[in-house]
Order: sequence, then C-alpha cells, then structure tokens
Amino acid sequence: MEQLLTWLQHGLGKGAGDTAQSWSETLLGSLHFWSLLEGTHLLTLMLFVGTILVVDLRLLGVIFRRTRVSLVSEAILPLTMFGFAFMVITGLTLVFAKPLFYYHNIWFRLKMLLLVLALVNVWVFHSHIQKSQGAWDAEPVPPGKVRAAAALSLLSWIAVIACGRFIAYDWFACGKPQSTFINAVEACKASEEGAYSLQGKRLN
Amino acid sequence: MTINLEQIFPAARPWVENLVNVWPTPYVKPRFAFWEVGHVLSLIMLAGATIVMNLRLIGVGLTQERPSEILRNLRGIQTAGLVGIVLTGLLIGMANAERLYDSTAFIVKMLALFGGVILTYGASRPAAAAEGRISTAAKAWFALGMAFWLAALVVFTTNGLAPGLLHVITAAALLVLFVTRGRSRIVYAGVLAILLLAQELAIHLIYPGDLTRLDPINFGFGIIFAAWIVGTALLQLSRADRVDEGGPLTKIVGYATILVWVTGAAGGRWIAFA
Repeated sequence: MEQLLTWLQHGLGKGAGDTAQSWSETLLGSLHFWSLLEGTHLLTLMLFVGTILVVDLRLLGVIFRRTRVSLVSEAILPLTMFGFAFMVITGLTLVFAKPLFYYHNIWFRLKMLLLVLALVNVWVFHSHIQKSQGAWDAEPVPPGKVRAAAALSLLSWIAVIACGRFIAYDWFACGKPQSTFINAVEACKASEEGAYSLQGKRLN
Repeated sequence: MTINLEQIFPAARPWVENLVNVWPTPYVKPRFAFWEVGHVLSLIMLAGATIVMNLRLIGVGLTQERPSEILRNLRGIQTAGLVGIVLTGLLIGMANAERLYDSTAFIVKMLALFGGVILTYGASRPAAAAEGRISTAAKAWFALGMAFWLAALVVFTTNGLAPGLLHVITAAALLVLFVTRGRSRIVYAGVLAILLLAQELAIHLIYPGDLTRLDPINFGFGIIFAAWIVGTALLQLSRADRVDEGGPLTKIVGYATILVWVTGAAGGRWIAFA
C-alpha cells in the first residue's frame, strides 16, 4: 500500500526532467484548484448532511409529523444523493493530492471506518427496515427500530464530520513522540516521518 | 483593491491584538478544533432548513406541503443553526482575531451573514408564512438583504478572492439545473458544458501557461456563466408550470436566500486560503 500511494503521490503523471511534477503534486501546488476543491467539499457536505438531517429528524418523529415519511424522503433524497456524489468526488480528489498524509492520519482512518458504518446503516435501512414502511409511513413517530436507524445515521455523520475536521490538526502526526497504539494504528513505521516512542526514541 | 477591518477601524488594532487574552479566548484556543466542528454542524443545520424551505418557495422539492407548514417544521432548526454559527463564530473569531482583522474574505462573510439574516427573517420566512405572498415590508427587507449580498459579491471579486466566487456560481448553476425540467434542462446543461469546454480550451490550448491572461479569461467566463445562469433562472420565473404559491418575486427570494448563505460559507472558507 505504501508503495502504491508513494507512486500515486510522486510518480503518476510525472514527465521527464528534475522539475517535473506528478499529477498529485501539480494538484496540491495548483494556484486555486485545491482551494476550490476543499471549499466545494465543505459546501456539498452542507447539502448532503443538511438534507439528511431533515429526513432523519422526520424518521425520529421530531419534525413533519403530519407529513408521510415517503413524501419527505422522495422530495429530499435526490438532493442528498447529489450532495453525496459531489462530496465523494471532491473527497477522493483531495485525498489524491496528499495520499501519504491521509494514509498515515488516524482521523482519516477513523473517518473512513465511520463512513463505512454510516453506509452500512443506510443499506440496512433500505434493505430491511424500509420494507415495512407502509405500516409506519404516516405515523407521527415511527417505530423504535426506525428511530434507532435515524439516530445512528445522525450520530455517525456527525462523527464523520468531526474526524474530517480533526485531520487538519497534527496532534497525532507520525514523526512526533506517540504511544505504541497510535504508532501502530497510523502505521508510522512505514511513513516518511517514522515512528517515535513517547520517550522520543525512533522505533524503525 | 483591498477591504478589511484594519482599513475601516485602524485604531482598533491594539484591542484586536488583546482579544486573545480576554475570557473566554484562553479557554477556546486550546479546543479550537472542537469549536470548528460546532461551527460546521451549525452551518449544516442552517443549510438543511434553508435549502428545503426556499426550494419550496421556488416551487420544487417538498411541494405537497404548504410553505407555511414547512416553515413551522423547520424554523426551529434554522434559528438553532444561525445561533450556533454566530456563537461558535464569535469564539473562533476571538481566538483568531488578528487574522480576521486583516482579512477581506471575512468582510465577504460578514456582509453575507447580514444579508442572509435579513433575507431569511425579513423576506423568506414571512413569504413562507403567507404561503408565498410578499408583503410590502418583506419587499423592503428583500431590497436591503439583496444590497448586502451584492456588496458581499463585489468584495468577493477583490484582493485575489475572485476564484472563491466560483462556489457561488457553481451553486447557482446546480440550483437552476435542479429547478429546470425537460428540454430546458438539457439545453441549459448543454450550454454550461460548452462554456466549460471553451474555458478549458482558452486556458490550456489557446493561451497555455500564460498567467497574465489567466485572471482575465476566468473573470470573463465567470461573467458569461453568471449571465447564462441568471438568464435561464429568469426564464423559469416567467413559467408557472408547477406548484407555485406567490409570483416571480417569491422565487427570487428563494434563490437569493439559498445563495446568500452559500456566499457566506464560501467567504468563511476562503479566509483560510487568501
């Protein structure tokens, strides 16, 4: 994995000559494109999670109690899907700009884990819970399992956002003295910065 | 041209520099990241409520509910989001005061914030409460809110910030794409694609590597994009083929209220970039 990411960051698209840059380096060093990508990622996050919030609060029985769940979700979920698609595209491109940094970042790893959890929750909702929607579609407060899925959805997306924001901070960066656990979780030994014990001793 | 708080209140610098020592900043600064998360979550609450409510005013989205019913359900979330961004924004701002004092993007954000509050509480919510009808008072608030928003957009073109305007143009383009239907949507999207292609050709094939022409080309295409998007939106306003409470002005209020908050969020993000 380390080799693949190193190639992605420093090798892919690199031309001849000492000053030639890979596509990843060109993207990161671009005048405005990287900033635009990051800004777009945040804006699409607002669209995506903002609309999910409305649907989840309906499923929790907090808002739109007099409106069928299907009406709310059919009207709003196309926006959610659109926001998600844009968020994934901009997110992948941002990762492409600094793949090694993200790979060795504990918050990014946690974010990916939570993202999978959130998507599994979406899948469980649509493949199992939603099958009985006819029975609770018009209920002001849907059954417990529906509310549990909505609560899990909200909590997981909030956690994904928090982890995404924390990526920018170097509290647990490889190359700094860290606990054995953090060094292992971030695979710091394989990183350019290396792994250091809490006592400051290099571990690789 | 540069506009920032340092130019407007030059005597305030010592006070601004001292903010970092004033309570609660010493408590906020070590936990800056957590307040940032609170700021983003508040933005999300505001965005979700604003998008659903104002799309309804435009005549799309949750059209089977009356605008007043949507307002009744979402106004609490919208206000909580606004209170959240202001409170967390004040704390983040105090911990980062010198940077904001010298920042043009911060002026964009503040102008858009004032415009957003005025458009939301003075025009959009009263229009939703009245099932799309715009009262004389709402028209006056709308004019004032638009003045703040346009001022924010003008400042966004200054001091190297203009690329950030692409966020607003893109949001407007996608909003109009969502609202248009049938053949209009295909023509609209097709012209957007042709314009994008033309811009890429101009930058990479006609004037490759010519940085002196980059800004004028992008600025020119930005104006063409904006004209095409606004023109298509105005054409849509003249058609009442969906569930439309209120008239064209109600829809303009819907568009403006969504986009003024996009401008504020984009301005806020560009504080870090410019």
